[in-house]
Amino acid sequence: MFATSTQKSHWIFSDEETLIKIREDTNKFYVDRFRPPDVEDIGDFFLTATEERSLLHFYEYQLKDFCMKFQPPMSKAVIGTAFSYFKRFFLYNSVMDYHPKEILVTCVYLACKIEEFNVTIAQFVANVRGDRVKAQEIILNNELLLMSAVKFHLTVHNPYRPVEGFLIDLKTRHPILEAENLRPYIDEFLDKVLMTDVPLMYAPAQIALASVLEAARKCREHLDVYVTSILITDEEMLQSVVDAIRTIRLMVRVKNYEPPSRDTVKALEKKLEKCRNQENNPDSTIYKTRMMEELLEEDERTQQDYSTTLAEQRMHFARLIMESKH
Amino acid sequence: MNDYKVLATVGEGAHGIVLKARHIVSGDLVALKKVTLKKISEDGIPVQVIREIKALQCLEHENVVYLIDVFPQGLSFVMVFEFMPSNLWEILDSYKLSGGQAKCYMKMILRGLEYLHSHHIMHRDLKPANLLIADNKTLKIGDFGLCRLYFKDEKTAYSHQVATRWYRAPELLYGARYYDETVDIWSAGAIFAEMLKGSPVFPGENDIDQLYLVISSLGTPNEDTWPGHSELPDYNKISFSKMCPVPLETLVPSDVPGCSDFLRKFLIYDSNKRLSAKNALKDQFFDMSPLTCSIQELPSNPPPKQNYFRGFDSSCSEDNAGGLSASTSECSSTSTITLKEDVTRR
Repeated sequence: MFATSTQKSHWIFSDEETLIKIREDTNKFYVDRFRPPDVEDIGDFFLTATEERSLLHFYEYQLKDFCMKFQPPMSKAVIGTAFSYFKRFFLYNSVMDYHPKEILVTCVYLACKIEEFNVTIAQFVANVRGDRVKAQEIILNNELLLMSAVKFHLTVHNPYRPVEGFLIDLKTRHPILEAENLRPYIDEFLDKVLMTDVPLMYAPAQIALASVLEAARKCREHLDVYVTSILITDEEMLQSVVDAIRTIRLMVRVKNYEPPSRDTVKALEKKLEKCRNQENNPDSTIYKTRMMEELLEEDERTQQDYSTTLAEQRMHFARLIMESKH
Repeated sequence: MNDYKVLATVGEGAHGIVLKARHIVSGDLVALKKVTLKKISEDGIPVQVIREIKALQCLEHENVVYLIDVFPQGLSFVMVFEFMPSNLWEILDSYKLSGGQAKCYMKMILRGLEYLHSHHIMHRDLKPANLLIADNKTLKIGDFGLCRLYFKDEKTAYSHQVATRWYRAPELLYGARYYDETVDIWSAGAIFAEMLKGSPVFPGENDIDQLYLVISSLGTPNEDTWPGHSELPDYNKISFSKMCPVPLETLVPSDVPGCSDFLRKFLIYDSNKRLSAKNALKDQFFDMSPLTCSIQELPSNPPPKQNYFRGFDSSCSEDNAGGLSASTSECSSTSTITLKEDVTRR
């Protein structure tokens, strides 16, 4: 039930400002952690919070694309859940810490398990372009990281089931209306919702209702009476639902649907390659050594090991910053 | 992990070890179930583990074990449960229960099941060792490693490799892939019968023997007693000579009035006719003498034994690992041979 869910208690935020603040803090935390202490002017070496958003926006398109092309075809719930994990993960983790392309596939893999869409890892990576062995390694290494980043809150409530509920209800109470005609518009709306922060701000049933009303508007049907006299009779509650739906529609409409241009993404990727945490880069030596250590040793790494790699990385970044100035 | 002080290792399960620990801040005793991911399957974190976390996070009931927290630790992760000093297996091993006591345990099992089933979760592995007993003698259903969401109106195929053999419903023994929460009701019945009898009612040595024990007790099924049984996947792979049902009074000798009538509503082939947990709680059996005893009158927890946490995490123990599919689905010829030996032995 959504009302008692971890989604409601931990992953629904009151407004966009709160989300922006969290993301800025996450960005700042990374920069403060890795800023080389003896270099005064770091210029624009690190990604800004806005640049991180821009990259994430691009990867949300990649995520959708990956899910749509996935074989065997997956249900909408898997896609919705994967998107939620992706959004939740990068709320508290910087793109510079974990590369979105790696987290993206892990989100889908975990979502498959949660939504009981049972595929083996081999079947799964068959959908990945490029080095499949490496992809498999990355996914399995990141699975636990992702689970703990979403605080083990695995159940995600998506708007897809409430939509079915509304359609059944409409068919009963509004037999004149061909409820099924609304479906393509509903789907279209919900697809757009995935690209926004709406799932981090509103209850799935509210999102569902917004999609139904938007679809009705496009079909030139009037459902206002259905909402105000049948669905919600409590005056106060009605006002808050109407407000919620208005904001959801606005957020979906305002959002720029075009992904950032190829050139922008390219430049950002280039910048990211330099400032990313090498410890979490599967191609780096630091990462490889660490994985070996973890496999060999049961115990967690000591605080000392951690400080050493941190110092190493800061020096590495300092070198890169100096180079860029010459 | 720094929040807990580990006191002892209490058991080893399919996915890792179980530790007894104290939560340093609150002083509460907890059980830490550590799931090691290093040795796990190639598909990453086992879906059973994910189901267990997912189910437990949305459950809170007096008769269902409570998941306090989950956190990662290196390449493992740890599930924190309230600490349960004993389980029904241990109680049955140490005491012969009175009718009132058996009713008291049964009611707690049924309340837990009623709650689970109302949340569309079937446990699929009920057995005395998974029924944990708290310090205050409350019984709580534990070990959700095999639980599964079910949908009443949907035809979803589930694995039949579930439930520890002695408590496994007959449709599962015949390899059914479509079943529902009533498999838990069968298990509850088998457990209640064991409480009255003092020993397991269907202690099959292997899956064929298990089926033999059930059929020789309930009689050869026919379309009246068990509609649709002949269409189950493994039905034609095994055949037994015709057997007559043994009265439950003989099967489970007990001086508790009405218990045979009550049990008959659980241990029945036709899963549609099995009592729901909800209705079972309203059954007149509970109004008959001896009345359900109070929780204080239940036996006290026996002193700890070496292996006393046995039941905590034995979800995928050897009981389930082999299973009927190994002997029947894959090579039906072998199973027939096993069967013949079995029958001759008897």
